Amino acid sequence: MKKYLVKDLMVPLSEYATVSEGATLLETLLALEKAQEEFQHTRYSHRSVLILDKNKHVIGKLSQLDFLRVLEQENEHIEQINSISKFGFSPKAIIAFQENHRTQSAPIEKTLLTAAKLKVEDFMRSPSEAEYIKESTSLDIAIHQFTTGLHLGLLVTKGKDITGVLRLSDVFAAVFHAMKDSDLKE
Amino acid sequence: MKELEGLLDRIIQRVNINLRELEFDVNPLVQNLIPPNQMTKFYAFYGITPHHPLNLQFKHSNLAGSYFLGKCRVTNSLLYKSDIRGDELKKKGDLFQYHNFEIPVNRDEEIEIDDSFLIKTLVHNFSHDPETLEKFFIRDTISIHYANIHGSPTDGSFLGPFSTVDLTTTRDCLIGAFSYIQTGEISHMNIKPGTVWIRYPEEFNFLYRYPVDRLNNYIYFAAGTPPQGIFIDFVEDRKEAFQRIFSTVDVEPSVSVPDSASLDRYSVVKPKTHISANVLVAQRAYIQNSWLGKGANAQENCYIINSRLEGFDITAHGAKIIEADLGKNVFVGFNSFLRGRPESRLTIGQDSIIMPHTIIDIRKSLTIPDSHIVWGLVTNQQDLEENSMSLEAFSKIDAPLSRGNMTFEGNGLSFVASFKERIQHILEENGAFFNENSNEGHAQKNQNISFNTIQPYPKGDKKGLYPTISIQP
Repeated sequence: MKKYLVKDLMVPLSEYATVSEGATLLETLLALEKAQEEFQHTRYSHRSVLILDKNKHVIGKLSQLDFLRVLEQENEHIEQINSISKFGFSPKAIIAFQENHRTQSAPIEKTLLTAAKLKVEDFMRSPSEAEYIKESTSLDIAIHQFTTGLHLGLLVTKGKDITGVLRLSDVFAAVFHAMKDSDLKE
Repeated sequence: MKELEGLLDRIIQRVNINLRELEFDVNPLVQNLIPPNQMTKFYAFYGITPHHPLNLQFKHSNLAGSYFLGKCRVTNSLLYKSDIRGDELKKKGDLFQYHNFEIPVNRDEEIEIDDSFLIKTLVHNFSHDPETLEKFFIRDTISIHYANIHGSPTDGSFLGPFSTVDLTTTRDCLIGAFSYIQTGEISHMNIKPGTVWIRYPEEFNFLYRYPVDRLNNYIYFAAGTPPQGIFIDFVEDRKEAFQRIFSTVDVEPSVSVPDSASLDRYSVVKPKTHISANVLVAQRAYIQNSWLGKGANAQENCYIINSRLEGFDITAHGAKIIEADLGKNVFVGFNSFLRGRPESRLTIGQDSIIMPHTIIDIRKSLTIPDSHIVWGLVTNQQDLEENSMSLEAFSKIDAPLSRGNMTFEGNGLSFVASFKERIQHILEENGAFFNENSNEGHAQKNQNISFNTIQPYPKGDKKGLYPTISIQP
């Protein structure tokens, strides 16, 4: 198998979905859609947007899951729904609880309208230390970082700069193809 | 009074250290909650009976207005108008059943209170923790007005007003006002006010959470002021009657008491009350113009006013029943507040279970049918339909159920059976089934009880502290 480094597999920052701070949630999602359309190198599309400050430094990240969480935060019962899990209920019971409270929540259309106008910096996540990886890191180390942190993407650094994003899907594809090639050769 | 103040600071610090993970500071809540002069004003007292082993040890503590029975050690603590009732502690030689284990009890169990501040708190029952059979400990803990620590070893915790920990070892937890917890064991949890949680792993899990905005009308507690709300107003309005009882040396019962019944000398009973056979009225209970049928009981801090209890009814610690008619075998759980009105009474059918920490507060007549279970906040028929079920229907639950603010999971039959079993046990313990010489319980055993009083230093640095005292047979 080829000795991959992170920089061999990463998506350069210029090809990734980004928005400037101050963008609304809708503008952020449109930026993601546009980047997905333009990025045709692989079958795997981008799943998050990076938020840049005025100096083009990455200050946060909004994933598809983060977006869905925004919608949930608009649900006034979400705190109750979240807190029930600490009382030792099973997933089935939590679903029963959610269904009971669904009728009391605002309709999803209303939630979407409100959420579209929210500012992205209010919901973006600041990447943790474990979400950064150096360009020169080898693939096996990157794999370990993915599996221990349950991340979908890592921010790739060169010195103090962020140069790209290493996506789980690209790492998976590289490893999968290597396995397939070696099997065919045998 | 320097030492007393130093003791309070020490307790606050110890509790805060235990609750640091929850980022909770008890200081603003309790620093001026009980004025120091109140801590020096009241005598403490203890009971002696031929039925209960006696061993009381008090060291470097204030015990103002508190009551002790059985075996208890208090060290570096402040106990304000609290009841430490050690009449159900395990005895040497008992076998404690826990799952498939039968664990022998090596020595008489004792209640041990260290570095704690208990305000108007009831401590009762025995430790249900198999890891600490002979020691029912309460340490580094603060509990506020009318909390119940019932069979629950407690460490590093804060219990809000009218909260209850029942048969649950509690470590480093915050228990919000009017919350009831019966889960066996909890640690490092922040339980919000008005949470009623009963869990028996692998069997059932019941959770009800009060709407906080409505609960605040009944009980509200924040830094800077004492607990407020309807519960507190209700108790304060009747405080004077207790002051008379506590300041009088010899108190003759104001009503006729059958030989098999017990009316505690520190209870208030007002006309026209009827006490039937095998009735137990505990200290700090308040009965007015009510009928207590055979085998009924009113436990500590209960109020029964203008009501009729047909018989074998349990009014658990802190429950209040006003303008209500209860059929036979009705269980009213801890700190429940049941209030009808003179022209719109509350009727509870026989064999019904009012779960702990239930509020029924009505302005139109309301009838709870026979054999029903009720929980949460009920102010009208619609609330009742949401927050009650027949015991038969509840027993059939075998899939998760969420209804209103209640969620239940597990075996409904097991849940109902455990309540019924406990009700039977309470009636037995209280002597409801006494028959000539058999089935003796608290109602009979507590008839021959003598009370002694003890006092603190009246002046100087030690003002308010009680001297080290050892009371043994």
